[in-house]
Amino acid sequence: MIDSKRIIVASQCVAIAFVLVGCGGGGGSEAGFEPIDDSAAVMWVRQTTTAEVLLNEIVDAFNAERVGLPVKIEYAGDYGDIYRKVSASIQAKSLPGMTVAYESMTTEFAMTGAVQRLDDLIADPEVGLTEDELADFFPGVLETNRYAALGGGTYSFPFSKAVLVMYFNQRVLREAGISDPPRTWGAFVDQCRTIKQKTGKFAYAIDIDCSTLDGFLMAMGGDIVSEQGDAFAGPEMLQVFQMLRTLVDEELAYLTPPRTFEDRSALAQDEVAFIFRSSSHLAPIGELMEGDRDAWGVAVIPQHDPEQPRTVLYGPNACVFAIGDDQVRTSWEFIRFFSRPENSVKWALGTGYLPVRKSAAELPELKAYWAEWEGHRVPYDCLTFARPEPNRAGWQEVRGLVEVAAKGVVTGIRSPEDAARELSTKATAILKAAAP
Amino acid sequence: MTRFIRYVLLVVGAAVMIYPFVWMTGAAFKTFSEATRRSLRLFPVHWQWQNLADTWDGAKFDLFFVNTFWVAGWVTLGVVCTSLMAGYAFARISFPGRSILFIIVLATMMVPFEIILIPNYRLILELGWYNTYKALIVPWCANGFSIFLVRQAMRGIPADYFDAARLDGCGHFRFLLLVAAPMIKPTLVTVALFAFLGTYNSLMWPLVVTSDERLRMVQYGLVVFAGGEGAQRFNLLMCAAAIVITPTVILYFAAQRYFQDSALGAGLKG
Amino acid sequence: MWTPIKRHRDLWSALVLLSPALTLLGVFGVAPMVYAIYLSVYRFRYGTISFTGAGNYQRAFEDADFWASVEVTAYYTFLVVPATLLLSLAAAMLLRPIGRGRGALRTAYFLPYITSIVAAATVWRVILNPQFGMANALLEVVGLPAQAWLLEPRGMLHIISGGRVPFEWGPSMSLCCVVLFEIWHSAGFMIVVLIAALANVPREMEDAARIDGAGRWQLVWNVTVPMVTPTLFLLAVVGVIGAFQAFNSFYALTGGVPDTATRNLTMYIYAMFYENQQIGYGAAMASVLALALGGLTLAQWRLLGRRVYYES
Repeated sequence: MIDSKRIIVASQCVAIAFVLVGCGGGGGSEAGFEPIDDSAAVMWVRQTTTAEVLLNEIVDAFNAERVGLPVKIEYAGDYGDIYRKVSASIQAKSLPGMTVAYESMTTEFAMTGAVQRLDDLIADPEVGLTEDELADFFPGVLETNRYAALGGGTYSFPFSKAVLVMYFNQRVLREAGISDPPRTWGAFVDQCRTIKQKTGKFAYAIDIDCSTLDGFLMAMGGDIVSEQGDAFAGPEMLQVFQMLRTLVDEELAYLTPPRTFEDRSALAQDEVAFIFRSSSHLAPIGELMEGDRDAWGVAVIPQHDPEQPRTVLYGPNACVFAIGDDQVRTSWEFIRFFSRPENSVKWALGTGYLPVRKSAAELPELKAYWAEWEGHRVPYDCLTFARPEPNRAGWQEVRGLVEVAAKGVVTGIRSPEDAARELSTKATAILKAAAP
Repeated sequence: MTRFIRYVLLVVGAAVMIYPFVWMTGAAFKTFSEATRRSLRLFPVHWQWQNLADTWDGAKFDLFFVNTFWVAGWVTLGVVCTSLMAGYAFARISFPGRSILFIIVLATMMVPFEIILIPNYRLILELGWYNTYKALIVPWCANGFSIFLVRQAMRGIPADYFDAARLDGCGHFRFLLLVAAPMIKPTLVTVALFAFLGTYNSLMWPLVVTSDERLRMVQYGLVVFAGGEGAQRFNLLMCAAAIVITPTVILYFAAQRYFQDSALGAGLKG
Repeated sequence: MWTPIKRHRDLWSALVLLSPALTLLGVFGVAPMVYAIYLSVYRFRYGTISFTGAGNYQRAFEDADFWASVEVTAYYTFLVVPATLLLSLAAAMLLRPIGRGRGALRTAYFLPYITSIVAAATVWRVILNPQFGMANALLEVVGLPAQAWLLEPRGMLHIISGGRVPFEWGPSMSLCCVVLFEIWHSAGFMIVVLIAALANVPREMEDAARIDGAGRWQLVWNVTVPMVTPTLFLLAVVGVIGAFQAFNSFYALTGGVPDTATRNLTMYIYAMFYENQQIGYGAAMASVLALALGGLTLAQWRLLGRRVYYES
C-alpha cells in the first residue's frame, strides 16, 4: 500500500513539474528573433477580398522578377489585431518578415530591437533609393517614417496613404439651397443649421475616430503634440469638442454606433449632408451612391484658414523585422518595389489609397482617373499639406482616450471643458511616461 | 391560474425569445434600403432570395464551415473521451489526492479565459503549432465542466452494478466501456453538444493562433464579414448571421431526442 | 475486500484514466494561470521588462478606470444572475405541467442559448440601432421618445425617473441593454436545468400539502421552491462565475470600442493585456478577478448554502 501511494504521489509531482518546466522555458531563448516561416518573407496585412487579390498580383510580379526568398501575404486581422499579434510574437521571439503598422506601433516594436533600421538599405547603391527617387516622395510621407524618439532613424516605409476629407451629399445641399460645401468651420456650422431648417434632416453623421478628431484639430490651427511633449495643450481640442456639442445639442448631428459604417449609408440614403472619412472610402461610397456622380462630392475639410489648409495623413507603413539577412533583404526589396510609381498607382487605383510619389501624377492611368471625375483629384491635392499623427510610443493608448472623451461630449455626459482638460492631462502623462 | 393565462404568458415569453431570429430572417431577405428604414415591418415586401447567394460569395463560407466541422468534430471526440475517463476515475476509484485534484479541476472552470490566453499563445508558438489545426483542437480536448457532469452521472449509477462487476472480476476499463458509459448516454450527449457548440462559437482563440484564411472558422468569418462587406449591407450581414446560426439549430433538433429532461437534471441534482 | 493487488491496480487504472484530461488541463489550464501570476509581478513597458513586485496591484488600486470596470462588473452580475434565475424559474414552473406544445415552447426558450453570441449580438445591435432599429420604431408607435440604447451612457434610473435621479447613479442604459441581452441569451440554459430539477420533485409532497389545504402560492413558496434549491444554488454559483468573466456579449454588442459605461473588468483586462500590451498589469488585474471570484463563490457557498434544503 505504501509503495503504490508513493508511486501515485510521485507521478503526480513529476507531471506537475514537467508542466511547469515546459511552460517556464518559454521566454528563455537568447537566440534573437526567428522567422515564423523559413521558406518565405511573410507579410502581415489587413487586406481582404479585392484588395488582397490586387496585393497578391503585385507580390507575384515581384516574385517573378527575382530569385531568392519569395514574399507571401498573410491576412492577420485589423490593425489592432496585428498590433497584438506582433507584440505577442516579439515576446515569443518568432516574427514574420514584415507587417503593416501605424507609426506609433512601429515605435513600440522598434524599442524592443525587433525592427530593422532601414537607413543603410536605403543608402545602399544596389538595392537602395537615389536622391532623386527620395525627393519624389511627398515629404510628409517619408517624414513620418523617421522616428525622432529612436535617433531619427527610418524604421518603416510608406505602404498605403490616405487623407481625411469631407464627403458631402449634393442632393441634400441643393434641397437646402446650398450650392457649395463650406470652406471654414463657421460656414460649416451655419450650413448645418440651414440644412436642418430647410429640410428637417440631420446635417452630419458623426463617426468618432481619433484620426478624424485630430484632423479637425489640425484644421482649426492646432498641433496634436507640442515640442515639449504636451498633448492637446492648445485651445483647439476644446473648440472641436464645443463644436460637436453645439451640433448635437441643436440636433444638427447624431452619433453613429462604433465600428459600423452607418455614416456612409446615411450619406448614401440622403439622410445627412456631411460625413468625414478617410479618402480610402471613396470607392465604397461611390458604390453606395450607385455611380451617380452628381449626387455627391469630395472636398477638403473646413479650415480655420482656407489659405493654409491642413488635414491629417492616414495610412499604415510597412516595417521590416530583423530576422536574418535573407529575410530582411527580401522584405526591403519588396517594399521598395511596391513604392515604384507604377505600382503605387496600381495600388491606389485598386484600393482608393493614394500614390506616394509625385511623379505618379505623370502616369496616364492616374491622369485618366482624374479626368473621369474631379472628386478623384481632391485627396491627392491634399497630400501636399497633410500631416501625420505623432509617431511616439504610447500614442496607441492616447487614441482610446481621445475617443472616450469625444464620446462623453457627444452623448452629453461631459462638458467640453472638462473633457478637453482631462484629455490633455492624461494624454500628456502617458506620452511622457512612454518616452524612452 | 387558469391554463389559458399560463399559455398566454408562455407564448408571449417565447415570442420575445425568438423575435430577434424572426427579425433576422426577415431582414436577411430585404433589400438594403428596406433593411435600413425604421419601420415595424418584419418581413420584406419582396423576398430577395439572391441575398443568400450574394452573402455566400461575399466570404468563403463553404471553407469556413468545413474547417469548423473538422475542428469541432475532433474536439467533441476528445472531450467525450477525456471526461468519460476522468469522470469515472473521480467517481468510482478511490486514490490519494482525489479530492484535491478534483477541486483543482473545478478551479480551472473559474479561471477567466483572458488570463491564460497569452501564455497559451506563447506555448503554441514554442511547440510550432501556430497556424495548424492542432492548435485549434488540442487545448480544448478536456474541460472541468464535462468532467464534473460525467462524475455526477457516474455517481448516479447505483453502487450495486459496480460491486457486482467487481465480484465478477471485471476491471475498471471494461466496466467503464461496457456498462457505465452506455448507462449515462444522455450525459455524454450533453457533453458532446457543449463541446461542439463551444468550438463552433469560439472566436478569440482561433484569431490568436491562426492567421491563415485556409484555417478560418465561421465565427471569425462572420466578424470579418461584419467589418467588410456586411458593414455596407446590413441585409447581407443578417443573412450571414442566419447562415452561421442554422447548423447549430439543426444540430439541436437532431440531438433533442437524447437531450431529455433527465440529462442535465441527473447531472446537476446533487 | 481490498486486497493490496486490487488497490494497486486501482491506482494504476486511475492514473491511466486521468492522465489525458489532467495533462491537458495542467498544460493549458493550470500552468498558464501560474505563469500569469508570475507575469503580474513584472512591468511590461514598451519592450522592457522590469520586476515590480506589488507595483501592478498598487496601480490597479489607484486606477479610476479599474474601479469603474469593477463597478460595471458588479452591476452586471447582480442584475443578470438574479433576474435570469427568477425569470427562468417562473418559466420552468409555467412549462412544467404543459402537455401540448411543450416541445415547441421549450425549443423557443432554448434557442437563444445555442446560437452564437456574435451572430445574436449582431442582430441585437441592428434592432437597437437608434436610427432605424425596431426598438425605436416600437417606442415611436407607443409614443415614447426614441432612445440611444447601446450608445446611451446615462443611468437607467435617470432615464426612468425622467431626470430626477442624477445620471451618474446606477447602471447606464447601455449596460442595461447588455444585461438584457445576456438574460435573453442564458435563460434557456437555466430553464432546461430547472425543468429537469422540477421533474424530480416528488409528487407526493405536493399532493400532501394540497390535501392539507395549502393555497396555490403557499404550495409554490413552501414546498416546490425549497425542493429545487440545490439546483437554484448551483445555477447561481455558475451564473456568477460566468457573469464575472463575461466578454463575448460585451465585445459583440459594443463592437469592442472603449466606453466606460459598458466596460467590465474582463474588457478592461483585455484592453490592457492586448491592446496596450501591458501584460503585467493585465495579469495582475486578472489575478485580482480570479481571487475575487473565488472569494465570492466561497461567500455564496457559506451564506446561501445554508438555505439549501436537502432531502434527508
